[in-house]
Amino acid sequence: MSEVLLHAEKIDKNFGVTHAVDHVTLDFFKGEIHALIGENGSGKSTFTSCLTGIYHKDSGTFTLNGKEINAKNQVDGNYQGVAVIVQEIGTLSGLSVAENIFLGKEDEFTKFGVKNTNAMNKKAQELLDAYGFNYIKATELIDNYNFEDRKLIEIVKATHFKPQILVVDETTTALGEKGRIELFKVMKQTRDDGRCVIFISHDLDEVIEQSDNISVLRDGVFIGTVKSSDVNTDDLKKLMVGREMSNNYYRTDYDEVVSDEVVLKGENLTVPGEIDDFSIELHKGEIIGIGGLSECGMHEVGKALFGASYDREGTVTLADGTKINDIKTAIDHSIAYASKDRDNESLVINDTIQDNICLPSLEDIKRNHILHGKDEKAFAEKFAKQMSTKMEGVHQFMSALSGGNKQKVVLARWIGKDSDIIILDSPTRGIDVKVKADIYQMMDTMRKNGKSIIMISEEIPELLGMADRIIIMKDGRQNGEFKRSEDLKDTDLIANMV
Amino acid sequence: MENEKKMKTPFMERPIIRNIMPFAGFIFIVVLFAVLTNGQLYSMGSLKLLLSQSYVLLISCVGVFMVMTMGGLDFSQGSMLGICSVVVCYLSNYNILLAILCGVLTGGIIGLINGFFNVKRKITSFIVTICNMYLIRGIVAYATTKTPVYGASNITSYNTLAVNLTFTIAILLIAFAIFQYTGLGNRLKAIGAGETAARFAGVRVEKTKMLVYAAAGMITGLAAFINSIKVGSVTSTAGNQLETQIMIALVLGGMPVNGGAKVKFYNIILGAMTYKILIAGLVMLGIEPKTQQLITGIVFLIMVAVFADRDTGMIVK
Repeated sequence: MSEVLLHAEKIDKNFGVTHAVDHVTLDFFKGEIHALIGENGSGKSTFTSCLTGIYHKDSGTFTLNGKEINAKNQVDGNYQGVAVIVQEIGTLSGLSVAENIFLGKEDEFTKFGVKNTNAMNKKAQELLDAYGFNYIKATELIDNYNFEDRKLIEIVKATHFKPQILVVDETTTALGEKGRIELFKVMKQTRDDGRCVIFISHDLDEVIEQSDNISVLRDGVFIGTVKSSDVNTDDLKKLMVGREMSNNYYRTDYDEVVSDEVVLKGENLTVPGEIDDFSIELHKGEIIGIGGLSECGMHEVGKALFGASYDREGTVTLADGTKINDIKTAIDHSIAYASKDRDNESLVINDTIQDNICLPSLEDIKRNHILHGKDEKAFAEKFAKQMSTKMEGVHQFMSALSGGNKQKVVLARWIGKDSDIIILDSPTRGIDVKVKADIYQMMDTMRKNGKSIIMISEEIPELLGMADRIIIMKDGRQNGEFKRSEDLKDTDLIANMV
Repeated sequence: MENEKKMKTPFMERPIIRNIMPFAGFIFIVVLFAVLTNGQLYSMGSLKLLLSQSYVLLISCVGVFMVMTMGGLDFSQGSMLGICSVVVCYLSNYNILLAILCGVLTGGIIGLINGFFNVKRKITSFIVTICNMYLIRGIVAYATTKTPVYGASNITSYNTLAVNLTFTIAILLIAFAIFQYTGLGNRLKAIGAGETAARFAGVRVEKTKMLVYAAAGMITGLAAFINSIKVGSVTSTAGNQLETQIMIALVLGGMPVNGGAKVKFYNIILGAMTYKILIAGLVMLGIEPKTQQLITGIVFLIMVAVFADRDTGMIVK
């Protein structure tokens, strides 16, 4: 193998009492795409964030080309030769494309305290053209471009100065086909120049396809490095989880009869700009999967049924005739909803695990109309433990938990509320295989206990694997319905989505 | 290992510091002024005076405490105390119970106006209550243009230790019970920490906000009664600066200015007493009012910096 480009020596990082990265020592070579994988909270992003200056490591050293580097912030990291493309939006609204590309580097275009905007715009446009994105205009506001294009601009921003190390952190999940191809092109270019890409992704197929070597982290500890050509996804899963995955990832039955009893009926639901005359009937013990492209309106269906949509027309009715028009009524009548937007809608992120689990159930926890702190704690502990949430205690703040554990708290809340109708929007988004398996297991148990579930999902295998019935949406309307069957193929669903 | 991990949390960010600081500050100020005034501050006479000056602040802190827990602010409290005192004093000439009732109602109505503009018109509470502060101050000035509004001649006869203390303690106890044991506290904290998520967990956010603004006004109506029996009349300056005193007191008591999950009910009592002792001590040392303001300003700034909940972000709702 070729020379070492970056050497990480005993990198260590703690968040409070969470040991996020535990003395990781790792080498990255010139001319490789090096994937970093692991479950949620295994420390991948924290490790690279310490490298790129997003976080500050507690101890350890990074040595790039024989010289120790210590990035104080992202711009400083850029000057030291490392750059990162992140999962979320990494561009700032209200600024022009050129200003975003050269954010923090305006000094390069400043003479005698005056910024030469024209020179900056010109340079930015040259870069955009060189990347083949000539339809993007450097002088325009970034707000005029969609998510995908903004991501492309971010790629230019992170790579135009040819960083020695390029970190690609979960970027692909946010990109469409076109964006992915562009990104992979840039990654390959970086490798072929004899530089190095650190590639973080949950998509194991993609990891094997794109990378040369794969390193695995588990609970902040470095497990090992394998050659991508020597492994398959099952090998990787084993390394990540530390145990063999059971075969019944999804439920296995195919011919169970669903009850005729309708528990929830949505009729002629319309939300302007989102959904258009959508109707649905949910039966007792049934799992309905709703799928489609991200913008097809399916996410709004969950909100509409939960009484959380603004301007909703149409009716949502329960078996006993109750009409659902607001969230409080929905919850009081045993409907639960876990939003796709976990950090803003599902959870009060700056509050404790206990408060989050208890919030909808406060009235139920009361004894003789009085709420006791002890009872709240016991309630939260019971359901957090039932979901095997990884935590110090229920007094811990949500912000300290990893994505998978946050989702466990969301589910613990609704299991605690003992809701009969559960609406799950993207329940396994950004969640690792182990927690995914737990969630599927939980859904199956709920179904058998007579609870009804609506699962909105962008992941087709999940829809095929879990749902009794799959509704595909397109442009806000229903566009096909499929019954559970072993013969159902992903291509059947996709045909109705696009 | 365990120790090493604990060391890593920045000193000021540790929960234990947040919990201990206000108590330590209280004790520090108590001891500091005991030394500086040679113990005079804690003579029977001074203590009585200190207490008699604390009732109004203690009571009106309760309402603002709830507003601030939700992440809001209320600057209209001082003017509100003024207008409620006008109502109480005026009506006390007819019937004292009617006076209290209408004082509370007046506060409640102003609270609802605050709530309406904040909740329905979506204007930040900071702006709404500052507007109302000036508006109501204007009304108070108008009502007291020629002469102060005098209460009934016997109104100051209610100004006894027993009445004041019972009244104040009762309000604090009732508020505490409601905050702690009905789930209201949990809901308010959730709104302060994350309004959208609170709504999705079934909290009726708009209704709760209206209720809290109204309650804050009504509680100030009660404070106006205590204020009226102490003074016996209202001038145009009644309740001046009360709003800032309340804010400083709550922050001294350890309350994060942006509310949220880290709020504790004891912030009220601890804060009000720390503030009052600080001021009484400064007065006793013969420090000029202007210098007093300077000192409280500095203390306030330090405490805000220490207790702000940076995770929640400095967003005023």
